[in-house]
Amino acid sequence: MEQDAQLVQQCLQGDGSAWEELVRRHTRRIFNICYRFTGNRTESEDLSQDVFLRVYRTLASYRSAHGGFATWMTSVTRNLLIDHYRRTKRDRATDSLDDKMAIVENKESAGRRPDEQALLGELSGQVQAGLTKLSPELREAVILRDLQQLEYIEIQRILAVPEGTVKSRINRGRIELARVLQQMGVRPS
Amino acid sequence: MTPKMNWICDQTEARLSDYIDDLLTAEERAAFVAHVPTCERCGPLFASVAHLVTNLHSIAEVEAPPRLVYAILNQTLGPRETVTGWPALRRWFRGLATMRFAYGALSLAATFLVLLTASGFNFRHPKMADLKPVTIYRKADAQAHLVYARGTKFFSDLRVVNEIQSRLRENVQTPVNSEDTLPQNVPGKEPGSTDGSKPGPRQQNRADGIYRNLEVLADELPVFTGVYGGRRTR
Repeated sequence: MEQDAQLVQQCLQGDGSAWEELVRRHTRRIFNICYRFTGNRTESEDLSQDVFLRVYRTLASYRSAHGGFATWMTSVTRNLLIDHYRRTKRDRATDSLDDKMAIVENKESAGRRPDEQALLGELSGQVQAGLTKLSPELREAVILRDLQQLEYIEIQRILAVPEGTVKSRINRGRIELARVLQQMGVRPS
Repeated sequence: MTPKMNWICDQTEARLSDYIDDLLTAEERAAFVAHVPTCERCGPLFASVAHLVTNLHSIAEVEAPPRLVYAILNQTLGPRETVTGWPALRRWFRGLATMRFAYGALSLAATFLVLLTASGFNFRHPKMADLKPVTIYRKADAQAHLVYARGTKFFSDLRVVNEIQSRLRENVQTPVNSEDTLPQNVPGKEPGSTDGSKPGPRQQNRADGIYRNLEVLADELPVFTGVYGGRRTR
């Protein structure tokens, strides 16, 4: 965490290698958040690039006193994901719920590479399919808490909502996801 | 003394994650524990959510594509220096001098060699005609038949040898009555001396059996001919 703050300082002084180090340290985490949120690798790659581009441009606005760099970066990621969700909402709104589910499934099977298809048979793939059926508020809460394993206080900072709302969203997200997985026929192993 | 809390299903459901994440007070925890096992609705719900959380924590992160880092760096720091001309060629050749490439090339060469050998290619007197597909096919076909015939002969020989061995073993294991074989005390004769009498019928049968087996062996395997040939009938 301190290392990140130091690297940010070096970046601000024009050190390219410090920025490269920051990118290498956080790419995987950011890509994972994007992938779990969108369920699509190509979109996640594009979104991850957008996140880093925005972070690079607004790096001077980061204050280490307000929290860790990772939390700040996750907050930027979350805002971009919500923007992306709103932008693509119109495409989804025209479809009924059943159609939407069918599209999600078709997109998953058509847009995925063979290794991703193999993953679908496993828990990770099943959870991914279940996550895409949650509302964005519940989805992001579950991703941050259970997949990124962040503390409640960090999630509170990232989502910029009161603690009670964070708790409620995490709880509802988990219950909803458990129900969705049950409907998909995923049995507890 | 504080009154005991009694939770209803809605309360329990709302605090499910607080229980899982250990955010309940001792009193709330007691109320939760008192309600869930006895409730038909909350029991299975708690089990499925608790199981889901455990599974979610065990899911590994997805690997980001390696090109992503370079794409981000290109977008932020600008395109990196590209090498062209001789330096690029030198770098390309340097890439070939790796163990990974060496192993790959070696295994490819070995595969090619095995395929050529199997197709009957003559390495001592190589001809261009030998590399024609028709020739390769014919030679490979002939080789395959030859290998099949040799294999059949080998297994046939094995079968014969095995049969002979089992017959010999049978004869060795045949119980022989000790009374028939042990020398009897004959008055006036010293032990070990012979009287020129013929062996008993059982002993004679056993000897005949061994010779019969050796005859079969001599018939099947030429190396035995001459050793036992004196008793061969053919």
